[in-house]
Parts: sequence; C-alpha cells; structure tokens
Amino acid sequence: MSEALYVGVDVGSSATKCVIIDETATLVGHHVNHSGFDYADAVDMSIRRALRQAEGTLEDITRCVATGYGREHVKMADRQVTEITCHARGAREWYPQVRTIIDIGGQDTKVIRLSEEGRMVDYRMNAKCAAGTGTFLESTAFKLGLSLSALDELAMASSEQAVLNSYCTVFAGTEVIERIKAGQRREDISMGLFRSIAARISEMLSARSDAVAVTGGVAAHCRAMVKALEEMLETEVWLPPMPQHAGAYGAALLAASQEDTQRRSTSHVTHR
Amino acid sequence: MATTIKRVEIESRRELSELMRDQFLSLDAAARDSQRKVAWCTSVGPCEILSAMGFEVYFPENHGALLGARRLSHEFIPRAVSIGYGAESCSYMNSDIGSTLMGHSPLQDVFGIAGPPKPDLLVYSTNQCREVQDWWSFYGQRDGAPVMGVCPPTHLGEVTPEQVAFVRGQLEQLIERIEQQFSLKLDYDRLREVVTLSSRASTLWRQVLDTATAHPAALSFFDGVIHMAPVILMRGTQKAIDYYETLLNELNRRVEKGTGAVPDELHRIYWEGMPIWPKLRELSEKFYDLRAIVAASTYCNSWAFDEFDGDDPLEWMARTSIEIFINRDEPVKQRFLIEMFDKFAIDGVIFHNARTCPNNTNSRFGMSERLREELSIPVLVIDGDLSDVRFFSTAQTMTNIEAFIEQIEELQR
Ligand code: SF4
Repeated sequence: MSEALYVGVDVGSSATKCVIIDETATLVGHHVNHSGFDYADAVDMSIRRALRQAEGTLEDITRCVATGYGREHVKMADRQVTEITCHARGAREWYPQVRTIIDIGGQDTKVIRLSEEGRMVDYRMNAKCAAGTGTFLESTAFKLGLSLSALDELAMASSEQAVLNSYCTVFAGTEVIERIKAGQRREDISMGLFRSIAARISEMLSARSDAVAVTGGVAAHCRAMVKALEEMLETEVWLPPMPQHAGAYGAALLAASQEDTQRRSTSHVTHR
Repeated sequence: MATTIKRVEIESRRELSELMRDQFLSLDAAARDSQRKVAWCTSVGPCEILSAMGFEVYFPENHGALLGARRLSHEFIPRAVSIGYGAESCSYMNSDIGSTLMGHSPLQDVFGIAGPPKPDLLVYSTNQCREVQDWWSFYGQRDGAPVMGVCPPTHLGEVTPEQVAFVRGQLEQLIERIEQQFSLKLDYDRLREVVTLSSRASTLWRQVLDTATAHPAALSFFDGVIHMAPVILMRGTQKAIDYYETLLNELNRRVEKGTGAVPDELHRIYWEGMPIWPKLRELSEKFYDLRAIVAASTYCNSWAFDEFDGDDPLEWMARTSIEIFINRDEPVKQRFLIEMFDKFAIDGVIFHNARTCPNNTNSRFGMSERLREELSIPVLVIDGDLSDVRFFSTAQTMTNIEAFIEQIEELQR
C-alpha cells in the first residue's frame, strides 16, 4: 500500500492513542496502549500497531500531528496541537452539528463550545485537581476494590437519585464510607460518583446546548458517565463510535487538512 | 548547560540592576545607622510623606515577589502557616513572614545584605487589601515598631470630593502621629517636591507602557514587571525619573525601528491579575514561541497615576490612592479594561485567578464572562498564584495558553 497516510497521535497521561486516515479521510488504522513510564516507547508502539492495521509503512506517512499531555514525545510530528483543538475537530467530524464537547480524560476534563460554523468560541479545563476527572473515579473505585467497569456495572443497576456531594477525591472516599455505614446500596453510591463528576462538569458549561458530545476514555468505558451527564444536562449526550480516539482522530484530520500546512515552532520549555 | 534566553533584551536593564543594588545597600546602611530611620510602606501607600520626613522607605511586597521569582516561597510558607496564618492567605505575606522566622532572605544572595531592613515604623494603606494590615502587625509586634495606617473607602464607583477629603484627613492624622512619635515636623514644601517627583516618574512610566501600543509592541508584560521596580521602590526620587527617561528613549528607538519585544508578533494579549512570579520565564518563553505579545496588563498600570498639578500634594495623594483599579467597583474596572483592550488592540484576554490574592483577581464575580459576551473577545481564566507554586500546574496552564492561541487563530482565519 503506498497511498498517503495522515497520522494523529494523542499522548495522554494514562493512554496513548493513534489514528491513521487516508486521503479520503477514511479511518484505516487505530490503536491504544498504556502511556506507562516511557512515552517515546508508547508512541512508537501505538504508531506501529495502527500502521499495521492500515497496512502501511512509515514511508507512507505524509504528515503527523501530535497532541495530548505528552505531545512533545512524538518525534515524527510535523506539528503539535493541543488536545482541546483536536477533540473539537474529531467530534465535529462525527457530529457536524455538535456545539458542546465534553472530554473526560485521566487527569483533566475539558468542555469546549463551538459556534454554528464549528469554530471554537470558548473552552474550559478543570482546575488543577482530580475533581471531575477519570482519576477521581479510578482512585475511588480502587479504594472500593473495584475495577472501573465493575463500578460502571453497579452504577447502571442503581435505582435511586443519590449524588455524592464531594468533588474532592479524598473527601469522596470518606463520604463513600459514611454512606456504606448508613446502609446505602452499593449501586446507588456508585452512580452517585458519576453524578458528582457530572455536577462538576455542569459548572464548566457557560452555555447550555442540545448538541452535546462526550469524548475520552471515561466515556468510552462507562455507560454510567453518559447517563449521569444526560440527567444533569437534561439532554441526550452523543457518544461517538471511538470516544477515546477523538483527540487522535482530530489530530489526523488536522494533519490531512490543507489549512494546516503552516508550521509553528514548538516550545522548548520543559513541562514539569 | 547553556540556555538560550528567548527575549529581546532591554539594554537599560543593566542600569536598573545598579539602581536596585544602590537602593538596597542604602536601606541596609540606614537600618544599621541609629541616626537614620527606616519605614516600611505598602506599594500604593503614602510613601511620599515618609520620604519627605526623612525616612528610608522599604516595600515588603517586593520581597514577597522576589521570594516568588526565586522559587523560594513554598519553603517558607509552611512556617507561617504553622503559627496560624492560613495556607490560602496572601502568599507574599506568608512567605515573607516565613522567611523572617527561618532567617533566610534572597536579599542575602542578590545584594549581599543581611535581609530586609528592620523597621522603625510600619505604614500601610488598605486601598489594596486588608492583608497588609495583618502582615505589618506581625513585624510591629516582633520589632516593637509602631504600625500606622490609612483605611480609605473601598470598591468605589465614581470617586467623590467627599471621599478624597476623608482620605486627605486621614493622611493629616497620620502625619500628626508620625510627628509626635518621632519628634519630627513635616516640611510641606519638601512634600510638594517629593510628590512632584513621584508624579513625574509615574507619568514617564505610563509613557513607557504605552510604547506597547505600537505594532509590534516595544515591550511586553514580562519586561514591564521587571522595569516597574523604580516606580514603586524609588517613587519620589530623581533616580526613578532619570531611569525612566533612559528606558523611554530606548523603547522609542525600538518603536521607530519597528523592533518588537516578540519578533514577528502575531497576537496581542492582555494580562489581568498578578504575575505568576515563579513561572515568569517559562510563561514569557511560551508566549514568545507562540508569537504572542502580552502587550498590556492591569498590574503594570497600577502605578501609572494622574499628573500632579502642583497645588495640594495631600489631595493628590488621597485622590490617586483611592482612584487605583484595585480599589474600584466592578463597573469601573470593566470600563477600564475595555478601554485598555481598545488602546492596545488586544486579541484575547487572560485572567489570572490567583489563589491567595482575591484582591487582584477579577474573574470571581462574572467579569470574564461579561467581557466575553459583550465584546466577543476570547477570554481565558488560568488558575495559579502570584508566588505559591503549589497552586500552579505548568502542563495544564501551558496547554491552556496554547489552546487559547489556537482559538484566536481559528477566529482570525
Ligand atoms: S494585594 Fe494581594 S498580594 Fe498584595 S498584599 Fe494584598 S493580598 Fe497580598
């Protein structure tokens, strides 16, 4: 195979995602693996696996855009673009009419608002803490000795309108114990955790809209997250076919788009 | 490893370093000389009265900023917290008190002096915040020095003659108390002279900042926060005037030649709120890389006062001290910001939500949203702190800033 391929790599704090599209913007390869300790290795692996699925070689790659927290580790990238722009671009491809994109990542959550023409008019990132992020869920699930998918299963079986009041991961842990002591059902406590995240996210929405999509790993793995958001926002929330890959998909689309030929020098600042 | 400094260096900076050294050596000498007296003063406090009465004036907030810029605050803050100061109280205050308790100051390394000069008198104005009153009280008790202050009316809309007269009255009382305490007599002609010098330096400072109205802007916020030192620390002296004349000449030459503080400037940003001292360099480089100039700020403009007409120095001091941005209500602040955006042709506004200084944070009562809606201008709120690096995430903030520039680019496309 020798047609032009465009690669998007999203190096997140917990997972590295790669999406490859061809000249017709058809998704021909994708992969996700843990970011682990060595980002460069993780990047390498995700690109190689996605390429294999696309039946391509490194020579077929016309352009590559890197995004995500560890975007500097993608050595082959022609350009770095933030995950905010990439998630917006990816979600817009799936849902051209989308106006609000909620991306729930491992270490941060973003809410992006688009204009009718699809331009980014506003975005918010959660404040510097785990509230409203995947980390909040993971660490609380860990304390309960549950996997994220087990927590999701339990939550989906909830019948009560319970909400956990704490946004803080530590306080949520204490609140869970108090509720267990008070005899509340595991299912309802679990759903309460998802509602706590949804409540935090609703604070980040400066304007309501009916065209909401959710992306990121948490939404990909937890149906309860989508349900909690739908209840909180009182509207249907769209879950794209590959929520976790939305950023990498957006990056690949940017790599392929003509408007994106201008290069920008990248920062030499070391992120700590 | 040698690192490239990504900034267009201002040559006058060498002169500034010399000036700062002289200033601190003189303060240190005064503190050790029983014939001379040192007064501590808040940054927009009545320092002209103190200078006119012969005090050497020291500004502790500068020490707070230095502790932040040298990334030392987090070492000292826990000590202040351990004796009862809130972990989220002013990080200038906490780090300064902590550094005193632990007996270490960057002034030792920078200027080779023992540390902040011991006060004979501490004078504050709560026109900026109440924290300064508590901060000064700590030293008042510790060093047995009198603490005196002015408490003007705050959060003002229009400034009325009655309010000015009220503050003027407080200044007269302050003078009386100092005269009694130190057996001194204020010479009003000398005060008029000092205020004239102070006002002149302030006017020049405004002209310096206005060189950023040029395209490309001749200086950035990151230059401004360094070069503003004389207008605060040497207010009322000829030295400050001479310095700003030199600096202004250099910047005017830049404007004539079309030299920008950020080469090939593409985007013009306004910074609302305090600098993030420990991350100044990283932030400056990030904007430099993104070809964005932070062309104007509320912070640097806080010392650009109206000119003194030569009549009543106390009236000028009273009026300028309550007219400052931080002491005004939301509508006045908002009008000021809109004028600034227009004057400096701003493409996007960054609000710094400083965790430990609500007084210099203006994104907590809806202002950022109102401006976004009314002006259709991109607005970004970043979480951080003036000094306490524990409230700041570099990776998150840098991504936020990059995405902000991407947003501006997309809107301009
Ligand atoms: S204005 Fe803010 S930073 Fe300055 S002394 Fe007051 S609380 Fe501290």
